[in-house]
Amino acid sequence: MTELDFDVQKVAKLAMLNLSDEEQEALRRDLPSIVAYVSKLHEVDTSAIEAKAYLTDLSNVFRADVRRHSGEDDRLACINAFPKKTGTALEVPGIFE
Amino acid sequence: MKTAMEMREALMRGEITSEELVRESLKKIHAEDEKIGAFVEVYDDEALAAAREIDARIARGDEVGRLAGIPVAIKDNMCHKGHKTCAGSKMLIDYVAAYDSTLVHRLKSAGAIIVGRTNMDEFAMGSSTETSYFQKTRNPIDTTKVPGGSSGGAVAAVAAGFVPIAFGSDTGGSIRQPAALCGVVGLKPTYGRVSRFGLIAMASSLDQIGPIATTVADCALALEAIEGRDEQDATSLDVTEKHPAELLSHSVQGIRIGVPKQAFIDGMDEGVKTKVQEAIEALKNAGATIVDLDLPLLEYGLPVYYILQPAEASSNLGRFDGMRYGTRAHVDGIWESYLTARGDGFGREVKRRIMLGSYILSAGYYDAYYKKALAVKTAINESLNDAFLHVDVIVMPTSPMVAWNLGEKFDDPIAMYLADIYTTFANICGLPGISVPCGLSQNLPVGLQFVSPRMEDGKLLDIAAAYEAIRS
Repeated sequence: MTELDFDVQKVAKLAMLNLSDEEQEALRRDLPSIVAYVSKLHEVDTSAIEAKAYLTDLSNVFRADVRRHSGEDDRLACINAFPKKTGTALEVPGIFE
Repeated sequence: MKTAMEMREALMRGEITSEELVRESLKKIHAEDEKIGAFVEVYDDEALAAAREIDARIARGDEVGRLAGIPVAIKDNMCHKGHKTCAGSKMLIDYVAAYDSTLVHRLKSAGAIIVGRTNMDEFAMGSSTETSYFQKTRNPIDTTKVPGGSSGGAVAAVAAGFVPIAFGSDTGGSIRQPAALCGVVGLKPTYGRVSRFGLIAMASSLDQIGPIATTVADCALALEAIEGRDEQDATSLDVTEKHPAELLSHSVQGIRIGVPKQAFIDGMDEGVKTKVQEAIEALKNAGATIVDLDLPLLEYGLPVYYILQPAEASSNLGRFDGMRYGTRAHVDGIWESYLTARGDGFGREVKRRIMLGSYILSAGYYDAYYKKALAVKTAINESLNDAFLHVDVIVMPTSPMVAWNLGEKFDDPIAMYLADIYTTFANICGLPGISVPCGLSQNLPVGLQFVSPRMEDGKLLDIAAAYEAIRS
């Protein structure tokens, strides 16, 4: 990546972050140098390697799809964590205009 | 302060009560933590009540767990029902956990007394504990220095003698590196050995919970209490062979210890190099066979890490939008609310990594960075599998430098990231690693790191215990 193709505003939109002008400026400076550092990876020939997300011998884990009630106490704890509520319902801003 | 093993013996013999141990721990925290900043919150009354309950059970002769009555501390990213769990972030400043993480659940079952939650880099992103929203933590050995990070508070709590055991999380070195910088023992178990359920996720393929203590035996004791399969974490592993702390072998006779040529990089502290070389010599004199290794791919561990970790973190942190919990931004429009909550709630380093991760995962760059990193990770793993055909463990420094001054690397992200140069490969390959103190350089602690094959945590602890015995 060069500084030319690094569009901070576009990435900030993907990342869903409001950034101040000062923060954008700092990222324009820092991110290209970090990406230049990690680009060191391109020195390694991996043409014969199959990339794996998990290296450990994990297999799919199955369990019965049954509902487990965690209890009234836990339910209220979750409701209490709502930043805004009406009764016991979570209140969110409208999605439609 | 006594070790946890000594506390356990004294408790079982009735020579001391848990209440006395917890009172001593709390007294020390209140007297001295102001200058260290290890704890974000301390639970005085609750800890004392739990201690009295354990004392009553011990007095009645009831069966109690392996950590019964022992004061411990947890990192601020482990959900603890009814308690604030903030992950060092403004985003979660008022968040009260609605459930117990498996770690907390198992600590309670083992009878441990949780005295408080400890400071950390925000969402565990950092190597000095300076990115916490709450406070800076200082190195108890020299308070002008950083404690390392991201589990800097947990490690400082042990190094300052506040608690014998604390629990941290290690995504790229966050237990081992601060343990090295503060002169204590830090264990990152095999990936999956300890359940991550209820640990606020940073990079899920790398995160692992582990103990910090002043001795290897205490780390072994703590691991026994928390390890093993958990239905709530599909990546957790069955531990079929327990390795009780009392049965550590303390011998390196016939053990093959690999020393990678890449263990000593240009620019590392000369004092660190000398101490690690002396430690290797001591292991040899104690009967270990030293095997020279050439692992040229090892140096790519850090670049792999700084692709996978931000990529995973940017996805994991997508959940923090202030809607269901956390801090809501009360502005017009749902989109603006998301952007503002995240813009205000996250600190500089977290934003930097979310941005880096979002960039890496964006169209046009995914193959060049993310998939490439997975391929190099696979190659590193294969080269280590080959090495482990010839050696039982690999040894190297934990950190290329001793603790640095507060603020010194804070504005230079790459200099900060280089602090993890020796630790990230264990995470990307899921291997267990441990840091044990191996002397001082410039009057500051140096850490010696051992890394073993997956699920050989028991052997790793044996070898670390043997080194500990040689040193003392």
